[in-house]
Amino acid sequence: MKDLIGGHKTWLGIAILMAFLISIPFFASDYWMTLLVLILIYTVYASGWNLFSGLTGYTNLGLAWFIGVSGYVSSLLIADHKFFWLFAWPIGALFVGIVSIGVGYILLRIKGVYFAISMVALTEGTRELIGTEYLEPITHGGKGVPFVAGISLSALYWSVLLLALITVIICYKITSSKFGLRLIAIREDEQAAETLGIHTTREKIIAFALSAFLTGLAGAIHFTYQNYIDPSFGFTIHLTLTPIVMTLFGGVGTVFGPAIGATLFTFIHEILWAELTILYMAIFGAILIALILFFPQGLLGWMKEKGILPRIRKI
Amino acid sequence: MRVERREEKILVIDGLVSGYGKMEILHGISLSVRRGEIVGLIGPNGAGKSTVLKAAAGLLKVTSGTVIFMDEDVTHTPPYQIVEKGMAFNPQGRVIFPDMTVQEHLDMGAWTIKDRLEKEKSLERIYNLFPWLIERKKRKAAQMSGGEQQMLSLARAMMIQPKLLLLDEPSLGLSPKWVKTVFEKIVEIKESGLPCLIVEQKAAMVLGYSDYAYVLEMGNNRFEGRGQNLLQNPDVRRLYLGG
Repeated sequence: MKDLIGGHKTWLGIAILMAFLISIPFFASDYWMTLLVLILIYTVYASGWNLFSGLTGYTNLGLAWFIGVSGYVSSLLIADHKFFWLFAWPIGALFVGIVSIGVGYILLRIKGVYFAISMVALTEGTRELIGTEYLEPITHGGKGVPFVAGISLSALYWSVLLLALITVIICYKITSSKFGLRLIAIREDEQAAETLGIHTTREKIIAFALSAFLTGLAGAIHFTYQNYIDPSFGFTIHLTLTPIVMTLFGGVGTVFGPAIGATLFTFIHEILWAELTILYMAIFGAILIALILFFPQGLLGWMKEKGILPRIRKI
Repeated sequence: MRVERREEKILVIDGLVSGYGKMEILHGISLSVRRGEIVGLIGPNGAGKSTVLKAAAGLLKVTSGTVIFMDEDVTHTPPYQIVEKGMAFNPQGRVIFPDMTVQEHLDMGAWTIKDRLEKEKSLERIYNLFPWLIERKKRKAAQMSGGEQQMLSLARAMMIQPKLLLLDEPSLGLSPKWVKTVFEKIVEIKESGLPCLIVEQKAAMVLGYSDYAYVLEMGNNRFEGRGQNLLQNPDVRRLYLGG
């Protein structure tokens, strides 16, 4: 089973898969491209959530805040200030990354369910703030921001493919690093981690801000792809919950779990929606409940348990 | 004897007042640990034994009093800096990380040590002290017995090459056989040159191993003396050792 990770065959497999993914815009229909763009965006959302919450154990219910803030900043830059999309995206992501250092400094002292609630409150509060008429000259208020970034679907696809790849590599590197171990120590027992000399608040803030930056980048791309953002759309709780469900689906705290979760989730969702439009929510809910009941550690956790995959942290 | 004790003091706690939030637990505790000593800290439940260790390790706010560690005032120093200075704290109840392997625990413990060579030396010392850890390197902590977990916790605390080891109830929840093994290991650690401050419920046990000991009651100092002397002190026997 070790060959699965280290062997030449694995690298060959990865190379073929990458070549295939890169070449997709040359032969795939727009429908498939759109589906893949969404899968990749959600892969980054789920991995970004997992990077912080999966490793530190702090449940972040404010993923939509990362996405919405970065989405708004980049969308406004493109719509009102005529920024080129390639520059607007990282500015949006950097903005939310830096602001989340301050937010983390305050909120990451709160533990457990209180932290989770405070992030929901932050998201809702920001949504209201952006929608107020007082800020309308800057944010367009509740009317939302329609815009055209002038980016082709292929370029969008390649950008988000690159981002997803970088995100998974970062997660892989962190999970197998000392920094990752320190985060896991915080998850397992924060006070014990502190007695080992870990500056817990600082480590949490770094992970939180990194998660915000990566998620924010995907958020900026997401709204460029939609050509539109408004407060209820940019900060909807779905943007928080869907990536969390995807991560649970694939395996919390694993490297590839979020990506696998995002892929399967999107496909199942798509098939159900196309074939059983009326019943799809009910069936989808049943599938989710079954998964949580029978695979509480996610698909990857289950496969590790059964010995199908080696039990190492790097997966 | 007093004068002699004043020399080579590695930890001096003087008039320590601390507690949780507004609740004051310690009303002015004083104690000290010398080089090459095991110092016991005993007393009934709620006397503030664990609180002393937590305050010394920087985990609790100190209202007044001082903590001097190796001639340096560390009263208001945050815990991660205290660890860097060489004070290792092993908290109550085998605080291991269930999902981590033995090797990862030791890596974690050593992360304040930047030098690779130093780290390897540290690891070698640990494996000399705890040889059975070698074959369990890849084992997850959750799969080990309570006694093994306590030993792992000790080994992890030793990875930073500490100058002082604070132990909070190392015997908690262990079988008598393991309690003995753990205490013998602590004596071995002391003999390798590392002084220990131990908080224990098993008073007679810890007094037997201690060079010096303090008895606390309701957040105040009550008795102190050489371990053997306290064991024979009729008041201590009556109050804390059950006759």
